[in-house]
Order: sequence, then C-alpha cells, then structure tokens
Amino acid sequence: MVRLAAICLCLLLVACKPPDTDTLIFAVANAPGVLDPRLAGDAASERTNALLYDRLVMLDEQGKPQPQMATWRMLGPDHYRLSLLPSRAPFWDGRLPDTRDVAATYRSLLDPTLGSPHGGALAKVREVVVVNDSDVDFLLSQPDPSFASRLTVGIVPAQAATGRSLGRQPLGSGPFAFVEWRDDGGVLLRRRTDGQRVALVPVADPTMRTLKLLRGEAHLLQNDLPGELYGYLADARGLAVQEGPGTTFAYIGFNLEDSVVASRDVRAAIAHAIDRDAIIRYLFGGRAQKAESVLRPQHWAGVGGLVAYPYDPQRARDLLRRAGYDEKHPLTLSYKTSTDPFRLRIAHVLQSQLAAVGIDLKVRSYEWGTFFGDIKAGRFQMYSLAWVGVNTPDILRYAFHSASAPPGGANRGRYRSAEVDALIERAERAEPAQAAQLYAAVQHRIHEDLVYVPLWYESNIAATRGLEGYVPGHDGNYRALAHTRMTHVQRQ
Amino acid sequence: MARLVSQLIDTLIVLFGVSTLVFLLLVMIPGDPVDVVLGESAQAADREAMRAALGLDRPLAERWLHFYADLAHGDLGDSLVRLQPVTELIRQRLPATLQLAAAAFGLVLLIALPLGIIAARHRGRWPDSLAQSFALVGVSIPNFWLGPLLVLLFSVYLGWTPVSGNLEPGSLVLPAVTLGLSMAAITTRMMRSSLLEIESQPFLRTARCKGLGESAVMLRHSLPNALLPVITVLGLQLGGLLAGAVITEVVFSWPGIGSLLVDAIRQRDYPVVQGVVLFIALSYVLVNRLSDMLAAWLDPRIRERA
Repeated sequence: MVRLAAICLCLLLVACKPPDTDTLIFAVANAPGVLDPRLAGDAASERTNALLYDRLVMLDEQGKPQPQMATWRMLGPDHYRLSLLPSRAPFWDGRLPDTRDVAATYRSLLDPTLGSPHGGALAKVREVVVVNDSDVDFLLSQPDPSFASRLTVGIVPAQAATGRSLGRQPLGSGPFAFVEWRDDGGVLLRRRTDGQRVALVPVADPTMRTLKLLRGEAHLLQNDLPGELYGYLADARGLAVQEGPGTTFAYIGFNLEDSVVASRDVRAAIAHAIDRDAIIRYLFGGRAQKAESVLRPQHWAGVGGLVAYPYDPQRARDLLRRAGYDEKHPLTLSYKTSTDPFRLRIAHVLQSQLAAVGIDLKVRSYEWGTFFGDIKAGRFQMYSLAWVGVNTPDILRYAFHSASAPPGGANRGRYRSAEVDALIERAERAEPAQAAQLYAAVQHRIHEDLVYVPLWYESNIAATRGLEGYVPGHDGNYRALAHTRMTHVQRQ
Repeated sequence: MARLVSQLIDTLIVLFGVSTLVFLLLVMIPGDPVDVVLGESAQAADREAMRAALGLDRPLAERWLHFYADLAHGDLGDSLVRLQPVTELIRQRLPATLQLAAAAFGLVLLIALPLGIIAARHRGRWPDSLAQSFALVGVSIPNFWLGPLLVLLFSVYLGWTPVSGNLEPGSLVLPAVTLGLSMAAITTRMMRSSLLEIESQPFLRTARCKGLGESAVMLRHSLPNALLPVITVLGLQLGGLLAGAVITEVVFSWPGIGSLLVDAIRQRDYPVVQGVVLFIALSYVLVNRLSDMLAAWLDPRIRERA
C-alpha cells in the first residue's frame, strides 16, 4: 500500500511544471483546429488565423474593404488589379510576401482538390495572373462590383500553398508568429512587435473559464458565457469587463412550406407576442441590442428605419383569431433548438410569452448535429439560430434567395420571392451606392414578409485581468491582441 | 495456449462487431462530412469533388471493405477538421488519459480496499456506517457537479491547485479526485459485501479453529477470495478510465481521449469519432481480458472451468 501511495505521489508530481507568468493566457471555448486560412471554416480558427496571416483586404466595422497588404483598382467590370503595399509585413521567415504568394494562395483556393470552405465565395474568379513584382490581376467570369470585399483570406507562402500541411506548422506575415501547439490542446503565439507570448487555451466549460479568470490562471476571456456570469465578473475585484456591439444576429426562423406558419398572420402574432426588451434585460443582463435585420444598420448595406413589431399581446391574439385560432381551437407549434442551456432558457421564456396569447409552443431540444441536420433538411416548424460574423451583404443571397434552399445555400425556411430574387441579383451587379439602396429594399421586403422574427444582436463581451488595451472586435475578432499590454498580474 | 488463442479469436470477433457497428452508425447519423469540410456555401461541383475525394460516392459495401483494408494497415483515416491522421491525434492525447487513469485508479485502490476491509471487519458499527456514508455520497454526486465544487474550494478559495488544464503544478489532483471518488465508492461497497459474503464460508471457520489470528485470516484467506468480484469491477473501471473519462476531462479541460471524442462529435469529425470509439472498444476488451487472466491466476477454479 505504501508503494502504491508513492507511485500515486510520483504521478501527481510528474504533472508539475513551473507556471509561466509572462504569457498572456486567453481562455477560449474552442481551440483553433486548423491554422491554414484557406482551410479553416470554424470561428476559432478564423480568428486565430487573422493574427497569423495578413490579408490583401480587411473589412472595417461598416463591412467596407480596407487595404491590409494591397490596394485595388477596377480595370474593367470583370477585371481587378491588386497592388501590394511596400509597407507590408514580411513572413516570419524574413521573406517579403510577393505576387507569386498571392497568386498561389488564390489559385489553391479555386482548386477543388484542396477542399477550401472559401472556394464558394470566389466562384466568379476565372483566372489569377501575376503582372509584375507588385501587381496581380483577378479576372472574373462575370462582373462583381463588390469583389474586393471577397479578398479577405490570409496570404500563405507559395511553397506551402500546394499541400494541406501548413495548418499544423503555420507561416504567415501577421502580427503574431506561431510558436507551438501546447500539450493542453491550445496554441502558443509570439507577437512581432515585442515578443509578448499569447496562449489560446481551450476551456470548454463556461464556469471553469470564469473561475480561471477569477484565480488569475487566465487573463482574458471573450463571449460564450451565460449572461449572469458576466454580471458576476463585472462585480469581481481586479477584473474589467469590456462590452462592444456585436454582429451576431439571433432570429426565429419558420418553415414556409408548413401550412400553419406559412400564414403571415400567425408569424406576425408570434412577433407581437415576444417581449424582446424583457428577454434582453433579464436573460442577457442588457448585453444585447434589438435587431430588425441580419445586417446592422451601421453596415454599408444595412438599413435604418425598419419599424419593429412591437410587443402587443392583444394584437397578437387578434391576428391569431383572424388566422382561425382561438380558445376552442388553440394553435400548437413545434420549436426546435439545441441543447445549449442558455438557448434552452430562452426557448422556455418564449414558450411562456407565446402561451400568454394562446400559442402552445412545444420546445424540442436536440444535440447540435441532429438539430442542424433537421434545420437544413426542412424538418421543423419553428427554430431559433444566430448568424455569426456577418460582414458582407452576400448573406442576403445566401439566406433568402430562392436558389439558396439547402443544399445550395442557407434559405432554410424555403422562402420564395421573385421580387427579392430580382433585387438581390440587381444589387450584386450594381455599384456600391446603388447596391446599398437595393439591399435596403431587400431587407424591407424580408422584414415585411416576416421570413424571420428578428430578435437581437448579441454584444461582444471580454473580461480581462491585468490587461490594458484589449477591446473585443465588432465581429468577435481578436485583433486587439496586437497591442494589448500585460500589467502586473497576481494569482489569488 | 489453446485458451489464449480462443481468447484472441473472441477479442477479434468483438472488435469486428464493434467496428462494423461504428461504421454503420456513422453512416446513418444525420449530417454530411462534406459540410464539415466545405461549409454550406460550397458550389455543387466542389461538393461532388470533395465527396469523391472522401470516397463517399462509392457504394456502402465498397466503403466498408476499404475501411477494413485501411484498418488492417493501422490507418484510421485523417481528421476532417484538424487535418491530421487519427492515429496521431490518439497518440497525442493518450499520455494525458493514461496519466489521469493511473492517478484515479491509484486513488481508488488506496481508498476503496482499506475502507471496504474496515467496513466489513466492523460491520454494524460506526466505521462501517462512515464507510457506507462515504460510498453513498461518492456514488450520488455526479462528476460535473463535484468537479466545480472541488475547484471552488481548493482552487478559488484556498488557492492550492489550478482550476483546470494539465500544465501547472498539481493540475492532476482535482481531476483524479473527482474521477476516483465515485469509483472508490462503488469499489468500497463491492469490497465490503464481498468480504461479508465469504464470512460464513467453512474454510474461514477452519482457519479460525486452527488458531489463526483475525489479521492472518483476513490477509491469507478472506481477502484473496473476496478480491475476485472486486477485480472484475476494477477491470471494468480501468477500461472506462482508459476510454477517457469524458465528463471529467471536459470539466477540467484535460486534453485526453474523452475530450477528443466530445470535440469530434460536436464538430461531426467522423473519422476521429470512428477511430476513438474503436480505440475505446479495444481498451475495454483488452483490460477485461487482463482482469479475466488475473482472476484465473488468483482462483484455480476459474482456470479449471476454462
């Protein structure tokens, strides 16, 4: 027994390494899986890749393209010339990214054998031509006035563009260098300007993430926490909570091929029965803003002035009566959601609010894969989801065009409107100023038709300990890490 | 020798059944691997190209045969999400799982065997009641609740151990205690009831009549006989530990096999799910075979029956 105790003690000691106090620890819900910007499709990988790889173009808070590595000129409706900036940063092996790297990156994205999730957005690219040491031409198969906003994939070295191995040994020209994959499943990065080390450490459980921050084992966490935990952190000594507007748009979707919810009166009754203010106040702790459309009004293609469907239970009852439902013939609806406890809590609040106007909402909660599979296959009456990281008006085609019904896109409610289809198609060919008006018209029509019941934009929230200068990005990006400073950090 | 060959054949049959079941289940569950790789916005042509590249356009029987051909070469395929071979992912995660399993198993042995013996020897008195209460509490508290409770006490308020992860000093303590406590509770009960069951056996009466002391009776006669069912339970528990203690690993962000499986299921990373489930099945089968062999070594009657 004594031997056994000694073995156990040894095992516990084997796990011991001195704590690293100089590394900024960022506790994330999911670790980045693939650090190749061409192959990454999940949010955690994309946000980390934005630190490792510079891009030709980046989108600002209004969704407008801004030069990062290159400026652009439209030489013709289907011909763009990208000119590399002399001030661009070198790759981490010391070599300056050149036009061969740009061409190799985008050619590989168009190669179906690579299997890039970004290939679809670049479907109009016919050819990528190196003009000289500073210019690259993109030739399109059809005009695309918004093409520059699609050039947001990180540039990889030409010699690494042929295979799929870059994802494990990344080499980019971004503000951070890859150092190593950590034994805890995280990734360690080093900052170009001052060598500051930053570790992205996966901590799946939200309570544990909170406790790590409280104890000083982590210096930063962002989003993916229940509302009450933010309130708890805001009151904790030594912590700072930063909040910024977000682009994550939550909504209730309908299966418009279902005979019950195909009725606009029924959908309007649901919209008027939901008290969004109460949900935002009590469930989100005020950390969300009411939404009317998938694009924020501040976006260049967004629309202001959409009149909200106000919380009005009496009007909801009247609409239901007009649709043929009353106390004797109550309306029963099925609502699908995931097993996420916070989403389930929202579902039960919605259930209670709809019950007050006479709608019996059956909440069906499924494991994510099954839930999402059902939504894509159209096996639902009502569901709730959120669009995350929406930056371009392409979302309107993707989610509302008739041709975008799954598997061709994400028009999951099978919405069909010849007017909306035509407006989207015209907007895609129009110059930005006119496109903005056409996209506004699209959003007015969608809002009027109540394809979705729009709910809210969820704020981006970061909680920090011993850090200066960190603010969460508008789309949840981590770019502020490039200039975040560690102040004195003490373990509790 | 013949018995070893027969056990090997049994093991292969079990593994064949499990692997076929896993293969078919992954074909049947909702979700499309092409979506995992390309996302929803992919063009139809790209989707078809990827479907062909993944071999999903082939008939089911052909895919099944390919699966076994690759398996025979030790190839479990590549992760759709992490783009690494599944065998490499398992190899990376295995040390953490082994470390946690060994610590938790050691804790089970340290707590459960003495406690079970004490409870049986003092049946009906306060040490027995205390051990029974421990067993009841240990079995009743779920790991996902016990883990955060221990963290609150030992990490946040007392500051003795890290909250989670596996890189800091003492990071193994809380996951091992969380995992070991419930298993120790079960084993304590099993040890106690097994000892009490053989208490009335004639060979113990004979030993006492020969004038052996209680300690000698316990160590030389009661314990070896009472250990047989306990070894079976310990074998099952060790199999479970090697399979990755899913909840504990997720709660404590322990980078082992269990958290790899949970991530893979969430991301619909089919080859990883398939590979990890096969590995878990193999672990279970091997550990159970080992516990059978240990039981046979301890008890000649089992050898004779076999």
